[in-house]
Amino acid sequence: MGKIIVMTSGKGGVGKTTSSAAFATGLALRGFKTVVIDFDVGLRNLDLIMGCERRVVFDFINVINGEAKLSQALIKDKRIENLSILPTSQTRDKDALTREGVEKVLNELSKDFDYIVCDSPAGIERGALMALYFADHAVIVTNPEVSSVRDSDRILGVLASRSRRAEQGLEPVTQQLLLTRYDPERVERGEMLKVDDVLEILAIPLLGVIPESQAVLRASNVGMPVILDEASNAGQAYLDAVSRFLGEDVEHRFVTPQKKGLFSRLLRRSA
Amino acid sequence: MSIFSFFRSAPRASAVQAKERLQIVMAHERAGRTGPDYLPMLQQELLAVIAKYIDIDQNKVEVKLDRGGDCSTLELNIELPAREAAAKALKESAKLAVAGNRPQPAKDGDESDAVRMSAGGALTNGGVKKRR
Repeated sequence: MGKIIVMTSGKGGVGKTTSSAAFATGLALRGFKTVVIDFDVGLRNLDLIMGCERRVVFDFINVINGEAKLSQALIKDKRIENLSILPTSQTRDKDALTREGVEKVLNELSKDFDYIVCDSPAGIERGALMALYFADHAVIVTNPEVSSVRDSDRILGVLASRSRRAEQGLEPVTQQLLLTRYDPERVERGEMLKVDDVLEILAIPLLGVIPESQAVLRASNVGMPVILDEASNAGQAYLDAVSRFLGEDVEHRFVTPQKKGLFSRLLRRSA
Repeated sequence: MSIFSFFRSAPRASAVQAKERLQIVMAHERAGRTGPDYLPMLQQELLAVIAKYIDIDQNKVEVKLDRGGDCSTLELNIELPAREAAAKALKESAKLAVAGNRPQPAKDGDESDAVRMSAGGALTNGGVKKRR
């Protein structure tokens, strides 16, 4: 039985899709059969981030409606063997996601895959609720910024009350924090919430800190999950986060400003 | 003047303010998450009670909620109609502060306060606060 992971945040634009793509790719790199599903019906973007936008024929909604077989809608990644993408519809709306339909697809996927990564849309409406409903693990993607932290707390409340595990009185969904767009230099200047501040407020374990990095935009430009850019600090931070998710004890990097020598200052090296 | 006073007078780091603001607002949101949203109901019932004794204009009611770190106040401002005798448009206002999760709702005190009228004709029971 595959494990279901939801990437959620409440707030939009914090890096759910970037993190879903990176995380799913990271799990596949570690040898696990992984599928990543786009739950943002009507605003499809995971396909672009994964670089498979030209290969979409059928989608998640087609499968739910019985218009296509799951195997027809799944797109195998060309770079990583164990990785598949299930894109969503660009034309329908979120009402197309029925609980029974989603459950049927997830059940079918969990027979073949070790991990199912659900890329949640922003908000706390149908799409987001469906993405988190069946989850075993939740990764809360948060920026060190007041509105994102507040929305994350809201989503934690929703997970604790409206997920399948909560409704059926099962063991609760595990919750871990992925703090993205972290800028250690601004933190040092007192302009940005510290990792510890966010942890104190949200009170969930830390999965990883992804530094603000130009590599993220570069990777999305070319449709490559940033985790495959192993030279970048963001890519390395995602690799570390995946290792921690798998239970390894990895020290947190990129949380303090990197000391820049004269040479690198002159070269203005970035990322 | 030493050079250090320059640092001392520096404004508080914005990240510190962000943390404090979040802690306060989220403490309230978490507390309110479990219980039902009783404020509109509470307001209606309070008004109904007051309307039973005094002819009040429902549009001249102001509800204010101020959430602080360890203390919140709910303030109801009700403008009472001027008495017919005093037609010089004397405005009276009733100011009620309502306590929520208090251990003993001091009923006696509230009643006597409600009956008491000051010279200006205002019902005053300010300063009753809800502590968490």
